[in-house]
Amino acid sequence: MPRILDVGCGKNKFPGAVGLDRNPATDADLLSDLNRVPYPFRDSSFDEIRAVHVVEHVEDVIRFMEEMHRLLRPSGRLYLVTPHYTDSGSYRDPTHRWHLNSFSFYYFTQPRDYAFYSPARFREHRVEIRLLKLWRWLGLEWLANRSRTFRKFWEHYLCYVVRGKEIHFWLDAIKPDTKGQPA
Amino acid sequence: MSPNQRRILDVGCGRAKHPGAIGIDRNPATDADILCDWSRSYPFADSQFDEVRLIHVLEEVPDILATLAEVHRVCRAGARVVIVTPHYSDHSSYCSPTHRWHLSSFSLWFFSDKPRQYDYYAPANFRERRVRVTLLRLWRWLGVEFLVNHLRWFRRFWEYYLCFVIRGKYVTFELEAVK
Repeated sequence: MPRILDVGCGKNKFPGAVGLDRNPATDADLLSDLNRVPYPFRDSSFDEIRAVHVVEHVEDVIRFMEEMHRLLRPSGRLYLVTPHYTDSGSYRDPTHRWHLNSFSFYYFTQPRDYAFYSPARFREHRVEIRLLKLWRWLGLEWLANRSRTFRKFWEHYLCYVVRGKEIHFWLDAIKPDTKGQPA
Repeated sequence: MSPNQRRILDVGCGRAKHPGAIGIDRNPATDADILCDWSRSYPFADSQFDEVRLIHVLEEVPDILATLAEVHRVCRAGARVVIVTPHYSDHSSYCSPTHRWHLSSFSLWFFSDKPRQYDYYAPANFRERRVRVTLLRLWRWLGVEFLVNHLRWFRRFWEYYLCFVIRGKYVTFELEAVK
């Protein structure tokens, strides 16, 4: 059975996952302040980590991503969901510190320009954007998810009119396996 | 101060302290009556004030939940709380490098209507009396501001679909402390 961690699980913990949250009124199995690393697990403990509407709350995104990287086994998958910065939901919650877009995790996935920010490396498996209903019906969401070029164009030219909702990222941890070979 | 007078606290009063209020600020060049770091706690006992005002303050505090808990603490039961903050679509939300939070007209929802999925979140308890959005002049003249403030569903629609084109300026929240 895959070992799954649900970080900031809230009241909708993923079935079968270990839940981590700081609020005792949640479904958490372990209570811990997500702004304090390390979390109470050994390195490479999980096959999958889910962080659904969490990263926009943490104090330090880079430190958080490095902690996700530490906890994942080599090639383990991080599933991250966060509001797009054009969604009103990004501003509705007074604990949201960060307003992000579908290229916000470039620091961790692009080998070239941004790798010097952090040693934690991920492989971008998939990125999907969700748009407001009207734009979904008109096929723009399909287009943005089908073509990376169009997604870039949308982020640059359209997204304040054709507004987004959520971004879903599937990122795989790149780290040496136990034998010291890169995964 | 006569015992019958309403006690008003103006948090982060700057140079435009509300008439008759006690002003707190951390800058000695302001109208403050008491100098303190208003971003964390206020130097008053519990349940002291009939009205607390935070005018262009909330977007600067390090922790909004903690600030509202502190406001709730110094409020008497039924006290009025007035909060003015830039709308996230206004340029002023991004002008000041000390603005930590970019907020919408539903950002204090948790504390008032308390939608069920969030009631584990908010420590303080307020009742929403009124929320008013001020738009840029052009849109006010065209009557959009009137619609936004008179129809809650339209305010929602405006925030989802329109507000990056028909841009807001600031939001005024009037809450009542429940305790």
